[in-house]
Amino acid sequence: MSTATKRNIEVREGAALKANIPSGSLDRKWDTYKAGIKVVNPANKRKYTVLVVGTGLAGASAAASLAELGYNVKAFCTHDSPRRAHSIAAQGGINAAKNYQNDGDSIWRLFYDTIKGGDFRAREANVHRLAQVSVNIIDQCVAQGVPFAREYGGLLSNRSFGGAQVSRTFYARGQTGQQLLIGAYGAMMRQVEAGKVELLSHREMLDLVVIDGKARGIIARDLYTGEIEQYAGDAVLLCTGGYGNAYYLSTNAKNSNVTAAWRCHKRGAYFANPCFTQIHPTCIPVSGDHQSKLTLMSESLRNDGRVWVPKNPTDKRPPAQIPEEDRDYYLERKYPSFGNLVPRDVASRNAKYVCDEGRGVGETQLAVYMDFADSIKRLGEKAVRDRYDNLFEMYERITGENPYHEPMRIYPAVHYTMGGLWVDYDLQTTIPGLFALGEANFSDHGANRLGASALMQGLADGYFVIPYTLGDYLANSEIKPVSTQHEAFGATTQEVQAQVSQLLAIQGNKTVTEFHRELGLKLWDYVGMSRTADGLKQVISEIPALRKEFWENVRVPGDAKDWNKNLEFAGRVADFLELGELMAIDALNREESCGGHFREEYQTPDGEALRNDEEYTYAAAWEYTGKPGDPILHKENLEFENVKPSQRSYK
Amino acid sequence: MQDTNKQSVVPGAIESILSIFDSTPGRKIITGLSGLGLVGFIIGHLAGNLSLFFGKDAFNAYAEKLHSLGPLLYVIELGLLAVFVFHIVFAITVTAQNKAARSRGYAVKGNAGKPSRKSLASQSMIYTGLLLLVFTVVHVWMFKYGPGINQGYVADVHGAPARDLYRLVAESFQNIWIVLGYSSIMVLLGFHIRHGFWSAFQSLGAYHPKYTPLIYAAGILLAVVLAVGFIAMPVYIYAFVKV
Amino acid sequence: MSKMTLHLKIWRQKSRNAEGALEDHTIENILPEMSFLEMLDVLNEKLIKAGKEPIEFDSDCREGICGTCGLVINGVAHGPQHLTATCQLHMRTFRDGDTITIEPWRAKAFPILKDLVVDRAAFDRIIQKGGYVSANTGSARDANELPIGKEYADKSFDAAACIGCGACVAACPNASAALFVSAKVSQYTYLPQGHPERYRRVLKMVNQMDEEGFGNCSNHGECEAACPKGISIENIAIMRREYVKAALRAGAAVV
Repeated sequence: MSTATKRNIEVREGAALKANIPSGSLDRKWDTYKAGIKVVNPANKRKYTVLVVGTGLAGASAAASLAELGYNVKAFCTHDSPRRAHSIAAQGGINAAKNYQNDGDSIWRLFYDTIKGGDFRAREANVHRLAQVSVNIIDQCVAQGVPFAREYGGLLSNRSFGGAQVSRTFYARGQTGQQLLIGAYGAMMRQVEAGKVELLSHREMLDLVVIDGKARGIIARDLYTGEIEQYAGDAVLLCTGGYGNAYYLSTNAKNSNVTAAWRCHKRGAYFANPCFTQIHPTCIPVSGDHQSKLTLMSESLRNDGRVWVPKNPTDKRPPAQIPEEDRDYYLERKYPSFGNLVPRDVASRNAKYVCDEGRGVGETQLAVYMDFADSIKRLGEKAVRDRYDNLFEMYERITGENPYHEPMRIYPAVHYTMGGLWVDYDLQTTIPGLFALGEANFSDHGANRLGASALMQGLADGYFVIPYTLGDYLANSEIKPVSTQHEAFGATTQEVQAQVSQLLAIQGNKTVTEFHRELGLKLWDYVGMSRTADGLKQVISEIPALRKEFWENVRVPGDAKDWNKNLEFAGRVADFLELGELMAIDALNREESCGGHFREEYQTPDGEALRNDEEYTYAAAWEYTGKPGDPILHKENLEFENVKPSQRSYK
Repeated sequence: MQDTNKQSVVPGAIESILSIFDSTPGRKIITGLSGLGLVGFIIGHLAGNLSLFFGKDAFNAYAEKLHSLGPLLYVIELGLLAVFVFHIVFAITVTAQNKAARSRGYAVKGNAGKPSRKSLASQSMIYTGLLLLVFTVVHVWMFKYGPGINQGYVADVHGAPARDLYRLVAESFQNIWIVLGYSSIMVLLGFHIRHGFWSAFQSLGAYHPKYTPLIYAAGILLAVVLAVGFIAMPVYIYAFVKV
Repeated sequence: MSKMTLHLKIWRQKSRNAEGALEDHTIENILPEMSFLEMLDVLNEKLIKAGKEPIEFDSDCREGICGTCGLVINGVAHGPQHLTATCQLHMRTFRDGDTITIEPWRAKAFPILKDLVVDRAAFDRIIQKGGYVSANTGSARDANELPIGKEYADKSFDAAACIGCGACVAACPNASAALFVSAKVSQYTYLPQGHPERYRRVLKMVNQMDEEGFGNCSNHGECEAACPKGISIENIAIMRREYVKAALRAGAAVV
C-alpha cells in the first residue's frame, strides 16, 4: 500500500482491482463466458437460498428469474408492497438495440453511444453485454403483457430519446417504468404463489452478515413491528437503487436511500465513483423551504421548448412583457448546432451559470424559462397538446401556472447516481457472495447515464445476467450451511440494535429532516453541478462536524417497537452523512471533468468538460477502513480496446 | 392472513357454477338479473293496471282475464315469487357483507364528483328495497287475498259474475292516507329503479362507453314513468271517482 | 402570496388494535404552493420540536405514481382534486380558515397500522393469485412477432395504469376492491398474451378478493371518480363477463 500526496488531498492507495472480464473479442465475451461457467444442477438449486434485497426492476426481475430456475428466494423491500419501488417513477422509456425502425441501430451502436455518453468512464465489456441483452428484455416484457406503445399495424412503436440519433426507445406513455416494474413484480408474485419466493415486505436491511469472508445473511428491521430479524442465505443480491437522496432534494422517492449499500460498504464492499451523479435539467423548481422532493419533467419537452432568461439581471418584468431583444436564449446562443437539445449535464450547468449571474427567474430566482410560445405559434396549440398535455397538466397541478399561457419555470435536480458498489463482470462486489444489481452498482453508465438506459440496465442485470453469474458463483464456491444461530448473526444484530437504541436515546434539539436538509444543501452547493477544489475541501471539513452534531443533537421521536418513520429516516441520514463525505473525497480526487462530474478547474476554453485520460481512465473504488472520511482508493483501470476516447462537442 | 404456499385449486364444473352464487360478481349478477325480471313484471303490471282509466268494466275484465289463466297463473306467480326471493335474499346478503367490509365509517362523508354515479338512490337501495318488500306484502294481502265475490264484490264480466276488483281499488283510494302512502312508496320504487336499472346492466357486464350513458338515462326515464304511472291511478280515483 | 391558517382534524390511532379518535390541530403560515403532504411535514416538524409524536402517514415518490400515499380528505379519497393522488394535491385547493378532516383508508381488508397508515397487503395476495402472464425468463419470442392492435394496446394500458393505492376501496361505500382487481383482469383480457390463463386468472383473483373481506360492487362508480388514474368501471363489467364465462366453462379443458 502506498501513500501518495496528491495535489489536493492525501489519498491512500491500495491494490488495483481486476474485473474478471472474459477473454476474447468484445462481441464474443458474454457468449464465451456463458459457455464456460459451471451450472448448478436442478436438484441442487433447491438447496440454495438467495436473499434479494430491493424489489425494483433489478430486484424483482432477479427474484423471479432465480425462483423460476429453482432457487429459494427471499425478497425484501422497505415498502408495504414490492410494486412501489422507485423504478416505478421512470417516465421516458427503455432502450433496446432492436433496430425495428431500420434506422441503422445495432448492438454496436447502442454500446458505442453508452460508452461515449458515459464519457469513457464505463467498462467496455459490461456495456457491450448490456447492449446485447437489451433485445431480450423487450421480448420478455412483451411476453409478460407489458402494454408498450404500438402502431396501428400492431407493431411496437419507438421514439428517439435524450438526443439519440436513432429511435430505439420503447415506451408505455409516460409511465414506462411503472409498466416494466408491474411486469417484473407480477413475475415475482407468480413465484410467491408457487412457493419459490418468500416475500418480506416492509423490511429494511440494516446490515450484512459476513461469515468466512462470504456474504451469508442480512439483518433487517420489520418496519411495522420494529422487530430486528435475521435471515441466512447462500448469496445476497443488493438491488437497492441509488443514493441521490443524499442531496435531500432530488427526484428520488422519499424512501430511496443508501443504507443497505452503505452498510455493505462498511462490511467490506468497495464503493465506486460516488461523485458521479446525474443532474437532470428539466425539473420543477424549488418553491420554498417546505419543499420535500423535486419532480422531473420529461426531457422530451426540450424538443419544442426554448430555454431563456432575461438578459439583464434587474429585469423583473413578467415574461410576456419581456421583448425578444431583452431575452437571452443562452443554449441556442452558446451551442448553435444542438441548441436546447444539448446533453443533460451541459443544459444543467448552464442553467446554474445564468442563475449564479443573478438572471434566474421566479420567486426564488433559481429557475429558467422554458417557453412553448413559438412552438404553439408554429404547430398550433392542438399539436403541442397532443405531445405534452400530460406533462403540462402535471406542471399546472404542482405550480398552479398554465404553460400554454406563460413559460414553464424549470431548474436542474439530482436524478440518478452512476456511482455505487463496485462490481466485477459477474456483478459481484468485493465481498464474495454479495452481488449488486441495477442502480446500486456502478458498472454500466460511466460518468453519465443516457436517457432510457436505467430501466434497461436494471432488467438486464436481473433477468439475463445474474441467473448465469450467480449460478457460477454457487457452483464454484464452497458454501457451508449456516443458520442464524451462527455467532456472526448475534454479533451483527447487536450492533444494529445498539444503533437503533442510540438514535432514540439522543433526544436532542434538531429533527432528522433538519440535518438531512443541511447535508443536502452542502452537497448541492459543493458536490453538485459544478465542483471546485476549494469548495470540496470545505465541505470535507464541514461534513464530519455535522455528523458529530447529528449523533449528539438529533431528536428521534417515538420508540423502536412500532411503525416509526422518523427512526427509519434517522438511520438513513446517518449513512448519508458518511457517504456525503466520500462523494466529496472522490470528487476532489478526480482532477478532471467528465460526464456528471464537472470540476471548474478542468474545462476546455469553450467551457466543456475536460477529461484527463492519461491519469483518470479508471473507476475509483473506495474501501472503508473503520472510520468515515479515511478511505483507501483501489483503481480499476479501464481499457478501451474497441472505442477510442474522444472529446465531446456540442457546438 | 392467507397461507401463501397453498396452491389454490381451480374448482370443478359444479362447484364453479355454484360459485356464481357465492362470489361477489356472481351475487351481483343474480341480483341484477332478478331485478331486471322484476322491472319487466312492474312494467307489465302498470300496463295492465292502466285499464283502470277505461272504467270499471275494462279493469275487471283485465283482472278476470288474468284469473282465467288457471294453473298457468300459479306457475307465473311461483316464478315471480322465486325471482322476488332471489332478489331479496341476495340483496340482503350483499348488503350485510358490505357493512362488514367497513366496520367503522368515515367521520366526514364526501363525494368524489363526476363521473361517479353515487346518488341518494344508489345509497338507499336496501332501504327502498325493504320498504317495497313490506309494501308488496300488504299490497298482495289487500288486493289478491282481500274481499271477493263472497263478500259481495261482484261484477259482471261478459255476462258472468266475477270479482269486482275495481270497487275494491276505488274504495281503498278514497282514503287520503292510502293514496299518500301508496304514492310515497311509488316514489321509492322510482328511486330504486333509477339506480337499479342501469346497475343491473353493469352487473351483467354490459358496459359500453357509448351505450351505458343511454342505459343510465333510460333508467331515470323508466323510474319517472313507472312512478308517475302508478301514482296517477290513486290520484285519479281520489279526485274523480266516487263510490 | 397569502399564508393560510388551517384547522385540521386528524385520525390518531396508536396501533392496529387500539381505539382511535380525531385530534385537532391548528396550523399557520401554510403556503398555497405547498403540497398536502408537505403541509403535514411542516406540522410534524412542529410536533417533534414540541416533544410530541408526529402523525404517521406513508408516502414515497410524491409524484403520484407509486401509490403509497393516500388520505381521505374531507370524506373524499385523495381529496377534492380530480385525477390527483394525495401527494400531488396542493394547498392552493384550500382557503384560509378551512377545517380539513383527514382520515385513513377505511376497510376491513386494510387494517390500520398507525394513525393514517394502513396495511394493503391484501392487494399483493390478490395479484399473487394470477395478476400476471406466466412467462418464464428467456422463453419469449421476438416482440414484433405478436402484432397487437393499437386500440387494444391502448385500452390495456388504460387498465394497467392502476397504481394500487387503494383509493377505489376507500371511496367505495361498500369497501369493494372490484376496480383494482378488474383493472388487472382487463389489462390481460385486452392482450393476447393474457388469454391462455384468462379463466384461471379471473376465478382465482376474484376468489382471493372475496376471501380478503372486501365488499361487493354496487355500481356506485365512486371508485372511478376517486381513482387518481381515472380507471373506468368498464373494467368491472369486463371482469364480470370474464368471471361468468370462466365459471360456466369450469371443468372444461380451458380452465
